[in-house]
Amino acid sequence: MAGSEFPYRAAYVACNPKCGVNPGDPCRYGCVGCGQCVEVCDSGAARIIDGIAVIDRDKCTACGRCIEVCPRAVIRINEITDPIVVVCSNREPAAAAKQQCTTSCIGCGLCAKSCCSGAAKVEEGLAVIDRNLCLSCGLCAVQCPRGAIADLRGILT
Amino acid sequence: MASFYVNGKEYTCDGRKKLLRFLRDDLHLTSVKDGCSEGACGACTVIIDGETVKACVPALDKLDGRHIITVEGLTEWESAVYTYAYGAAGAVQCGFCIPGMIMCTKALLDRNPDPTEEEIRYALKNNYCRCTGYVKIIAAVKLAAQIMRDGVIPDDDGADWKMGARVRRIDVDEKVNGTGKYPDDYYLEGMLYGSAVRSKYPRARVLSIDISAAKALPGVAAVVTAEDIPGENKIGHIKHDQYTLIPVGGLTHYLGDAIVLVAAEDRETLEKAKKLVKIEYEVLPAVHSIEEAKAPGAPKVFDEEENNIQAYKHVSRGDAEGAIGRAKHVITRHFETPWTEHAFLEPECAVSYIDDDGDVFIISTDQSAHTTLHECSLMLGTKKVKVQNALVGGGFGGKEDMSVQHHAALLAYCTRRPVKVKLTRAESLLVHPKRHHFVMDFTMGCDENGRILGVKAKVESDTGAFASLGGPVLERACTHAAGPYAYENFEIEGTAYYTNNPPAGAFRGFGVTQSCFATETLLNMMAEVIGISAWEIRYRNAIRPGGVLPNGQIVDESTGLVETLEAIKPDYDAALASGKPVGIACAMKNAGVGVGLPDWGRAKLLVDEEGKVHIHAGASCIGQGLGTVLVQITVTNTDISRNDIIYERNNTWIAPDSGDTSGSRQTLVTGEALRRACEKLMEAKAGRTLKDLAGREFYGEYLAKTDKLGADVPNPVSHVAYGYATQMCILDPETAKIEKFVAAHEVGKAVNPLSLEGQIEGGVVMSMGYALTEQYPIDDNCKPIEKFGRLGLFRAHEVPEVKAIVVEKAGLNVAGGAIGIGEITSIPTAPAIADAYYRLTGERVYELPIKGNPYERKR
Repeated sequence: MAGSEFPYRAAYVACNPKCGVNPGDPCRYGCVGCGQCVEVCDSGAARIIDGIAVIDRDKCTACGRCIEVCPRAVIRINEITDPIVVVCSNREPAAAAKQQCTTSCIGCGLCAKSCCSGAAKVEEGLAVIDRNLCLSCGLCAVQCPRGAIADLRGILT
Repeated sequence: MASFYVNGKEYTCDGRKKLLRFLRDDLHLTSVKDGCSEGACGACTVIIDGETVKACVPALDKLDGRHIITVEGLTEWESAVYTYAYGAAGAVQCGFCIPGMIMCTKALLDRNPDPTEEEIRYALKNNYCRCTGYVKIIAAVKLAAQIMRDGVIPDDDGADWKMGARVRRIDVDEKVNGTGKYPDDYYLEGMLYGSAVRSKYPRARVLSIDISAAKALPGVAAVVTAEDIPGENKIGHIKHDQYTLIPVGGLTHYLGDAIVLVAAEDRETLEKAKKLVKIEYEVLPAVHSIEEAKAPGAPKVFDEEENNIQAYKHVSRGDAEGAIGRAKHVITRHFETPWTEHAFLEPECAVSYIDDDGDVFIISTDQSAHTTLHECSLMLGTKKVKVQNALVGGGFGGKEDMSVQHHAALLAYCTRRPVKVKLTRAESLLVHPKRHHFVMDFTMGCDENGRILGVKAKVESDTGAFASLGGPVLERACTHAAGPYAYENFEIEGTAYYTNNPPAGAFRGFGVTQSCFATETLLNMMAEVIGISAWEIRYRNAIRPGGVLPNGQIVDESTGLVETLEAIKPDYDAALASGKPVGIACAMKNAGVGVGLPDWGRAKLLVDEEGKVHIHAGASCIGQGLGTVLVQITVTNTDISRNDIIYERNNTWIAPDSGDTSGSRQTLVTGEALRRACEKLMEAKAGRTLKDLAGREFYGEYLAKTDKLGADVPNPVSHVAYGYATQMCILDPETAKIEKFVAAHEVGKAVNPLSLEGQIEGGVVMSMGYALTEQYPIDDNCKPIEKFGRLGLFRAHEVPEVKAIVVEKAGLNVAGGAIGIGEITSIPTAPAIADAYYRLTGERVYELPIKGNPYERKR
């Protein structure tokens, strides 16, 4: 199980595995698929799939080494009971963000509007979720027109 | 097109319909409760492929291949285990959150058969409960896990069901398995959906109403305005100042004022039709606050009133001013308490239709079916009305007024068809009366030993857009501001003001939650000045049997404030010795309406052909467990076994009116009436069997007789009984969070200790929110907060250990000595917590909620 102390924690990549990096105008924020996280991961949780890092939360021990080595700082650790997360790190204005990636957050604010608890908001062009307020309903993930918010359990998204 | 499975059965559906609507409206799986439809409350939680999901979130077209489980899909074994565990742990109160909690329990135990307490709390943390404070739900999950592992359900239901027995509530099964019906669970043949078009402005003159386009829309059955009301437009609990519908030419009083009602074949048409109603307004300046309401030349909230003063109370005994003048120590402070939302899990809903007698029949969730009957009869101008209580998903005072019942009744009257009117959660937050915001100035004078010599105070409340129970709440705030102490000089002046804010009315504690914060804080400050402990100053001043309260009442032998102080003493001393910040407060609260009002309890026992005895009392169980209490009182006062007794849910045509569920009164007042009915039954039964009594009816009634406020007698009896409490808050100095909360309550005779603990835990946690986290902001347009999830209610993983201590004391000679404790559980909590934070930070708290605490909802 992820981490050793309750509440159990695990890492996730704040970049969408479906994003498909645009070689002409690459995103300055997202995962580059360098594989350094895979190299330092002792538990075999980190892998590169289609050029993007993916972490198996069941295997992850939340040791945090991947976070230390990630050149783009796109790996985060959270509690596994908080499955609704933003899977994008792109802070570009909407037009640029749209051009760079098919699943980037464009800061439209639909997540904040649909949020039942005031947890979701847009800061510097990027959606963020306040863990202390979030009720894990997933409305933001369901509403997001870009697929930039995920249900890590794979139910709602 | 998506194919998915619900409880093992395959369905193929299309479209963006939400899963919640499909499960409820199409499959009628009504265990899946609709508490907010916005992802917050958790009442609609189901399991999808092993994970808990709120059914109001996913649309059907995203569910291809998914397996969905609701409570209806539990195996017989699972259902039996959860029913036993939730019942034995005392986890079920109003029941509205319970099916969702059961889903969380199953999802957790399916993957983790032996969870720790913390794992349980986290599994429940996205689901709200407003009744239990989560304590007993957590215990129920633990117990369910144990039974699942053991594989055997204990056969231990040997309770004798007499008063004092720790019995499992009678409504556990229907609430755990979702078979019990709240009004929203009724789907009648040909039922219409109704809703109100409400005012766009908090204060405006309605110039014209054009309903022609709405009426012409196919699927619209009726569009109703004030002109269609057959009886009185203005109704109200005491004062008739609540408009059913604002007429043309009339003034609106707040954003919740209804102007037009629409009934349509389905929800979509209803919403379309509401948008087609055209209303012209003359927008007028609104009254936003107490300050604005009392300013010279202030706009008037009501055309009919001379000014904005809704109620004024002056209570005086002895010479407070003189006593304070002679006092060695005098402290004066200004206090403020916030608006609070009840946040019951079940939003208001009523279903109405014309029955076979031609009567308007109303299925309602309320705190008195008879009050609903009186108000709807007044509005319809006919006595041909019947009201049946469905299950009530929490009230806490917020369901005492008409919110949807009168609208459903009027639409059924006009259309002659069944109509369901249900408030959205945003409407619920706007429409029903809230806890009053109070501003208070208090002065207390004590002698050198900390004996209170006199208290003088002035309080003001914002009672919003109509009176509701604003007058009595103000009065109770004033009478109980004196506290449970023996002194002679007390004077208080109180004023409630109309404003264009949402209405304020009854809320657990009924004004005392506010004034107690001031009195108890001053007492804590006084203890420090004098150099004695907060415990000691209370012990010195505590009212004792035979003593005289500041209102002049001589208290009886059941008076047990001292015993509650003594009950917490070991925990108090231990906390002090360990150097932890500890805060303490006391309270008293009446059981029964009191102050000379006609407070009747009425009950009857009907014996059927099979010799079963049916309890009919016109008293609403709003979740507190009244039915179980009445069964226990019947078993205690007859020789009839529990299995021969059937509790009937309150209605208005068989059950006699036993008054509102308000003022912690039902256990005592209805309980005594029932005891008297039992006496009559036993007289008739002498030497006979129950079958011999088939068809007979035994009626009992009881008037809880009291004296008027200010009655010209030496020692007026203001209330037939008082409950007393001491509560204590211990903080963890490292985290600044509450480490432990101890609540000792004197209850006379404990009818059901398990239910009593549940009341205490729930009341305490509710007021933890009041003290620390809850908010009900109102903006410049007099518009309140719109989302349930932003109210700041406590969640399962945040709740500290709550130690509930039930103290019994004989001396009350009615209802077997039982004193209701519905309200007092929430009263001393905030001042106890505030005192603990003062011990931690050195800063006294005069305004709630307490700022800068670790639970605060920062945004």
